Amino acid sequence: MAPPREAQLLIDDLERSLIRGRARWVADLNEFFRGYRVKDTEFDLYARGRTRNRGFFLSRFFAWTALPDYSVSLFCAYESSGAHLTVEKLRRRMEAVSHTIREDELKWAWLIVLSNRELSPEVVSFVSRYDRNELGLGVASTKSQQMVFSNNQIGRSIGKHLSLRKLLGGLHLGEND
Amino acid sequence: MEKMTRTQVPLLSAYSSPFVLLSALGINILLFNLGVTAGSLRLLMLGAAVPIGFSFGRIIYLRRSHAEILFDDRTFRVHQGSRDVVDGEWSDYSMVSIILDQYGRRSLRLYKSLNGDHVDLPLFKTNAEPQKFRDHVQSLLSRPKTRTLSLQPVEAS
Repeated sequence: MAPPREAQLLIDDLERSLIRGRARWVADLNEFFRGYRVKDTEFDLYARGRTRNRGFFLSRFFAWTALPDYSVSLFCAYESSGAHLTVEKLRRRMEAVSHTIREDELKWAWLIVLSNRELSPEVVSFVSRYDRNELGLGVASTKSQQMVFSNNQIGRSIGKHLSLRKLLGGLHLGEND
Repeated sequence: MEKMTRTQVPLLSAYSSPFVLLSALGINILLFNLGVTAGSLRLLMLGAAVPIGFSFGRIIYLRRSHAEILFDDRTFRVHQGSRDVVDGEWSDYSMVSIILDQYGRRSLRLYKSLNGDHVDLPLFKTNAEPQKFRDHVQSLLSRPKTRTLSLQPVEAS
């Protein structure tokens, strides 16, 4: 099911900012898919790339000598159907991402799930306690703008480097139109 | 067929600048032989080197590097210079993505299967808005595929 216009704009903005290199301090994402299916789970945005960025002259030399060259990905999905986002729905998406991590031999992946409802305490607790290294989780409510990230380096970088809060703020103020 | 294109100014300038310099040199020699060595007439004549040089540069640019993406609901074609570099039907492909090259330039990548055969449409050489065009192409790819029946005459026995 296609996400509603509000979520579509948010995902468009997230993709646009990634194309412009917002994630470059963590990963150099260079390919962007929409409506990407992993088994029977659909993600509204899928981006893939590597941890070694491209740059020019000095920054390329630095990247080549100092940065590891791992394959990484970003998945973003919008949950709008039915009631609150549940831990079960989140687990299903995490399984799909873990499947891709194994299949494509990724070092790690970001998973961002947006919901048009308030986040339930179970989801907040589950995400904030999640600490496996290869998957960074970020869950946000477009209604309340509440955000929660997993308790690992990759999860914390969603808030720090992808500026999800700013994107949600822009949506709330109607800046995305 | 719809067409997306734009003049790639840096390329056009690169092709034109040697001709501008050569034209200026030629005009300068001509003026020197005619005895025009100073004054506004000389400047005006030397200024003509720019349009002359750009005209030659533009001819070479159009023959070698000017890119156009032509498409309709069924087919697409990438035309560069005086030749077609890519053509095909949307129905031959199942996935589409936006791909950035090492300089951050945006192209549209069409896959027959994920990580399989693909072709790239160089959006950075046109005025296309990558996300909008990708969404349009995605809607074309997700349409149900209809097979065209070729009716063969059958001889009555």
